[in-house]
Amino acid sequence: MPTTRTARPPAPQPPPDPGATSPPTLASRDVSRRAFLRGVGAVGAGLALGACSRGSAGSGTTEIVFFQSKPEVIGYFDELIQQFHDAQSKVRVRHDATSNLAGSFVRERPPDIGCLNYNFEISRYVERGVLSDLGDMPEAGRILPGLQPLIDVTATYPDRTSVIPYSLMAAAVLYNRTIFAEHDLTPPTTWDELVAVCDTLTAAGVTPFYGTYKDPWTIAQGPFDYSVGGRLDTTRFFNQLKRQGTNVGPDSPVSFEKQFLDPVEQMQQLLPYDNPDAASRGYGDGNLAFASGEAAMYLQGPWAIGEIAKTAPDLDVGAFPLPMTDDPADRKVRVNIDLALWIPEGSRKKDAAREFLAFLMQPEVIDAYNAHALGFGVTTDTAPVTNPTLVELQEYYDRSAFYLGASQLVPQSIPLQNYTQSLAAGAAPEPVLRTLDADWRRLAFRS
Amino acid sequence: MTAQSLVTTTPGQVPVRRRRRFLGRGGEDRPSWGATTTLIVCSVAVFLPLYATLTMAFKTTAQSVDGQVFSLPSPFSVDGFVEAWKLTDFPRGFAISVFVTAVTVVGTVVLASFAAYAIARNWDRKFFRFSFFYLLAAMFLPFPVLALSQVKLTGMVGLANPVGVALLHVMFQLSFSVLLFTAFIRGLPEELEESARLDGATTWMVFRHIVFPMMAPMSATVAIFAFLASWNDFMMPSLITADSTLQTLPVLQSVFQTQFSSNYNVAFASYLMAMAPAIIVYLFTQRWVMAGVTQGAIK
Amino acid sequence: MATAAATRARRSDVAPPRPPTTKGRPRVNRTFYLFLVPALVLFTLSITLPAIMGITLSFTDSVGFGEFQFTGLTNYLALFSDPAIRSSYAFTVGFALVTVLLVNVLAFLLAVGLTAKIRAKIALRAVFVLPMVISGIVIAYVFNFLFSNSVPQLGQAIGVTALEQSLLANPDLAWVTIVIVTAWQAIPSALLIYIAGILSIPGEVYEAAAMDGATPMRRLLSITLPLVAGYVVINMVIGFKNFLNAYDIIVGLTNGGPGTATRSVAMTIFTGFTGGDYAYQMANATIFFLIAVVLAVVQLRLTRGRNAF
Repeated sequence: MPTTRTARPPAPQPPPDPGATSPPTLASRDVSRRAFLRGVGAVGAGLALGACSRGSAGSGTTEIVFFQSKPEVIGYFDELIQQFHDAQSKVRVRHDATSNLAGSFVRERPPDIGCLNYNFEISRYVERGVLSDLGDMPEAGRILPGLQPLIDVTATYPDRTSVIPYSLMAAAVLYNRTIFAEHDLTPPTTWDELVAVCDTLTAAGVTPFYGTYKDPWTIAQGPFDYSVGGRLDTTRFFNQLKRQGTNVGPDSPVSFEKQFLDPVEQMQQLLPYDNPDAASRGYGDGNLAFASGEAAMYLQGPWAIGEIAKTAPDLDVGAFPLPMTDDPADRKVRVNIDLALWIPEGSRKKDAAREFLAFLMQPEVIDAYNAHALGFGVTTDTAPVTNPTLVELQEYYDRSAFYLGASQLVPQSIPLQNYTQSLAAGAAPEPVLRTLDADWRRLAFRS
Repeated sequence: MTAQSLVTTTPGQVPVRRRRRFLGRGGEDRPSWGATTTLIVCSVAVFLPLYATLTMAFKTTAQSVDGQVFSLPSPFSVDGFVEAWKLTDFPRGFAISVFVTAVTVVGTVVLASFAAYAIARNWDRKFFRFSFFYLLAAMFLPFPVLALSQVKLTGMVGLANPVGVALLHVMFQLSFSVLLFTAFIRGLPEELEESARLDGATTWMVFRHIVFPMMAPMSATVAIFAFLASWNDFMMPSLITADSTLQTLPVLQSVFQTQFSSNYNVAFASYLMAMAPAIIVYLFTQRWVMAGVTQGAIK
Repeated sequence: MATAAATRARRSDVAPPRPPTTKGRPRVNRTFYLFLVPALVLFTLSITLPAIMGITLSFTDSVGFGEFQFTGLTNYLALFSDPAIRSSYAFTVGFALVTVLLVNVLAFLLAVGLTAKIRAKIALRAVFVLPMVISGIVIAYVFNFLFSNSVPQLGQAIGVTALEQSLLANPDLAWVTIVIVTAWQAIPSALLIYIAGILSIPGEVYEAAAMDGATPMRRLLSITLPLVAGYVVINMVIGFKNFLNAYDIIVGLTNGGPGTATRSVAMTIFTGFTGGDYAYQMANATIFFLIAVVLAVVQLRLTRGRNAF
């Protein structure tokens, strides 16, 4: 079971905030005590030999480096590695959870196999061809065909299967079933119903939404992604946007200013239903407040369920997609490929890495992981979710009524999270979206 | 980097003059108590953050969160030090800082004095003159300009560690140090060297037994600059060293920021331990440091 | 830059006792090559090679690894229209100017005081030079705590509303904290130079002035200041050059925030590692390098005519 639990958001690792979070060192950060103890022995050798210490771990066995840094499941993967070691003796796996991944590629010392959130960050690795082709592995054939568009819109490399999805997160509005029942409310299926639910709650003295706008990523992945994804097909939008190249602006068929304006305005209409101190609350505060029943709804993904359960293990939490139109059939859930496996071209031990990959992809191993991490399975032979909150979302997943969060498709060099934070603070949407268009144009110009 | 400039004058002279009349009134020789008091008051600005560090470091965690920075520790506690020592693995960070600084200081003095001697004594040769300006050019290259490539290159050759940091520290000190040494050596009389050579001494022996000892004051200056630049550097180790368990003391403070969290006594104990070695060294060597830096800076 | 440096070196070349010989000179002792070559080789590998590589990559779309294409001047054209880049330069230059003025005024005044007839002169000098030996990032963390806690308390106590909120969280004023801490750390080296400058003024000048009945203030403005003018120029140029590289102290205080209000050029360049802007920030670094070269030329010109020190 996981030994490391932090209040950090799990799945959607927020990208380093360009201004406010950690300084851009290329060393790893947040070093755990464990990592430190592990390092003790390496000092002498490290000083003298540097990279030479990366050789094989002994005669007959191959040591591979496995990069996986999702904080909530580091302990879980440690146990999986142990099982793998018990099952065979040829390949030893060293779990790296702290290195700076970009740094390791820049230094041309990438890990042998990685298991990471598949988003704008990993798209660079795919597009520059530093991840090897896994298309010949039988495991690649087991992936649900419905996921291919999501993989392709994030990043592709000609004729390569660069990543194999491992776990998918489906996110929607979390709601307190008890509070809803107390006020005879059912999850809304249209925008008008949603507003009515909020009004009813407000009239009864209950805060409808708990906002945590101090942490910009919670806005980007919550209100912003839900509003945008509830109104438009993000896959189509971003594919079209990419086709337009530098032609993004007032005169282009597709632009942030055009397509995002309505959803963002709707998102701002919901702001008055937030807790009054939303601007100064963070993710940790939000989990605590929602767990203690301070609000009826919480725009957070399944990663928050475990955090909420820490405070209130018995809280009856449900989930529904944020309805943004007047047609109940338009409702969709936000998904992201929370973990995907890849093997860098630069690895000199691809065969050993593939062995470990095949082990991780065994049906019982991958299903057990997804059940544990509250993820949805990504293979054709997968088991359905059992979590009492997430069962409400299974039907959407089964009929592919899902979209990728827009915030996951905007490259890191555009400070989207900061923009959504100013939107949540009430900034006029047009100038913000125009800035976004301009940023996109500039990025397209130089890439 | 500290103050450096390109003005060369007669080497080895710290302008120290005895007769000094400055704000002094006419011929009076009485020290001014007014000026002394003003300066002492101003020195509070220097001491304030250091005092805050001291008091905070010796508080308990409970007391450290009350926001009263300047209150005295009560009870007096060394828990912060114990915790910081363990958490940041201080002995290792200290050892790595000492290693990087020592290699930088020795490397800079040796490489720069060798190169400067060769340049100064062969100034009439194009190759040596060109080398001088070539090495000097790096004075215009700040680290941020080269950082992106240096991270890549050090990583590729297995130097993404303290060894690489020390090497780069030496290289960034080289220009300025060669400049100082060259100016100094040109001011040395050559007669001694020539008579030694007539007695059959090799160039190496001349350097080892005559020139290098005579350069001692300038070596001290170069060493002090190298020490300050290397011991306190944050930018280069934080980017070059890949494994954060091999970081120097200043970088460790930033690596552990999130883990210090609201245990301010631990954080400040850690800051204090990171500052203390340089302060202690300075207390014993301040005259040389001041003279050395002045000498280097006005060159 | 090379021309200016060369001119200067040729002039000072007259000084060495050994006259340059051009004909019939003996072979250079091999040991001299052994002395020089290691430095040249290491220098080339760790400074020149990265510089060439960086400038080359700035004409590509590299993300730091994997495939890339040459894109000509695209990165440079994009740089000039990027508001984030422009604001980082505006912040950095503005910060450097303000800091360099503050540092020099304070350092000069302190130097005047520390060269006057005072008690405990050596001890006081030692105190004011002390900040030089303290790591910038560490002292920035200390100040960070003071700015977040003690300054707001002080603001409440004296009723200044502007100070009641942490300056670090104020996008319009966060830069002030960076100026203060940078000055705290940078004053010592400027101070030492001013002390040396003031001590190099012959005492007779003051005696003559005193006999003419000049007041201390008049002596300060009419004698000391003009006579150390060269040192002022030196300190200004050196300080400005150093402050343009601002990084450590900003990391410890604001980390570029709030938002991107205090993001320096160095910080922006380093985002090239994580944000996929490797080649783009290489182009930024190249521009930054050109600015450094211009400053170096300015420095050489300004200091050339002043052989007084």
